Amino acid sequence: MGNYVKRFSAFDRVVHWVLAIAFFVLVMSGLGLFAHTFFSYFDFFGGPEQGILAHKIAGIVFLITSILLFFAHAKDTCRFDSDDGRWFKGFGGYLSKDQPEIPQGKFNAGQKLFALFSIIATVILGLTGYVIWDPTSMERGLTQFSLMLHGLFFILFVMGAVVHIYLATIGNPGTIDGMLWGQVKKIWAKKHASKWYQEVGGKD
Amino acid sequence: MKHKAFMIDTSRCIACRSCQVACKQWNKLPAEATVNSGSYENPPKLTAYLHNKIEFIETEENGEFKWLFLNKRCMHCSEAGCMKVCPSVGALYRTEDGLVAYNKDKCIGCNYCVNGCPFDVPRYDAQNKIAKCHGCFDRVENGLQPACVKACPTGTLLFGDRDQLIATAKTSGKPIYGETALSGLGAMYLLDNKPQDYNLAANPTIPTSIFLWKDVIKPLGILGFWGAVGVAMLHYVTVGPKQLEENGTEKGGGNHG
Repeated sequence: MGNYVKRFSAFDRVVHWVLAIAFFVLVMSGLGLFAHTFFSYFDFFGGPEQGILAHKIAGIVFLITSILLFFAHAKDTCRFDSDDGRWFKGFGGYLSKDQPEIPQGKFNAGQKLFALFSIIATVILGLTGYVIWDPTSMERGLTQFSLMLHGLFFILFVMGAVVHIYLATIGNPGTIDGMLWGQVKKIWAKKHASKWYQEVGGKD
Repeated sequence: MKHKAFMIDTSRCIACRSCQVACKQWNKLPAEATVNSGSYENPPKLTAYLHNKIEFIETEENGEFKWLFLNKRCMHCSEAGCMKVCPSVGALYRTEDGLVAYNKDKCIGCNYCVNGCPFDVPRYDAQNKIAKCHGCFDRVENGLQPACVKACPTGTLLFGDRDQLIATAKTSGKPIYGETALSGLGAMYLLDNKPQDYNLAANPTIPTSIFLWKDVIKPLGILGFWGAVGVAMLHYVTVGPKQLEENGTEKGGGNHG
């Protein structure tokens, strides 16, 4: 245990992975409605009607878990300081290997930005999803606008997820440990979140 | 491809509603109970079981009451909003004659076409499947006129080769509604008054949100996804991951990987 430091609670981990599964189900079932190219993806669900039903159920699960996860970490993700400004200016050190790591809290500035984007996108997708739940139930112009916005934030979210998955796995080795079993290596914490590492009692 | 179309000369219409009845008869559509709304117009709107209807528009001309009659139906647009948004391949399709027909077996009940249509035409039946005028494509394919056209006693409803209908209609001198709108409508009108007086949009277009969704966001989105994957892969093999130094001690903000 000596080499590790606790990062995520069991609650955090379970909520995150339920959310991840819901996200995957949403993408697979939503793509069938998004473009003819992906219409056959409905076969995974046993047909288009079942696919749409799966999309609606997964949507509710995603909305709830997203909100839970956001509030679980809001105190760490909603505050930006001057170090975060420096982090953004240096693109988080991702453009070069020669940059020193900028001291960061529990989440770095990019992760905080992704957390805020996620909750905003989730709320927009949830609201527009509510409007298009039955596309004949509300005013036509509003439904058309909601269909468009739902498609736009779907795309942005998928792009965000690609970056999130890359950076949390092979892009930053050791990061996914926290989400798998709750602990990260001390050298990970020192490198990626040095301010947080000191807060939780890490030495040197 | 030679498109066929409807040409509807509204000034000839006497509102006998033979077209409504003939459509119901040929397409085996049940009657629906309606309520008296104080107008001869009935039913008040297109439904899943009423694919064309006469609108009774009450106006005043030189202080005198006047009716404008309009046969409302699917416009069989060349650039069809319903087909643009329909996710199910083959549910809505264009026949060889240029009509916008549909296959109920392939309809997935998403209701998108209801919102994609600039004319608010598509409806959903009790089985949650699309229902609208399909131009009696089954009759047309076999050399017959659509049922409504066949039944029209005044020559208000004409059906035939689109270019020929336009050429003939131009001799009347009246403006043709729908000659070029949405790349050419498959149901065109000769109107005595302005289109707005008939509750028709002067310049019907695909709704802006639908255009942005299908023609901008969709292609850019697919590009965006592969772009994000590409950038991640490129980053991995050029700059590389932020490796942890397993054994060494961190030198103040060291420049290791």
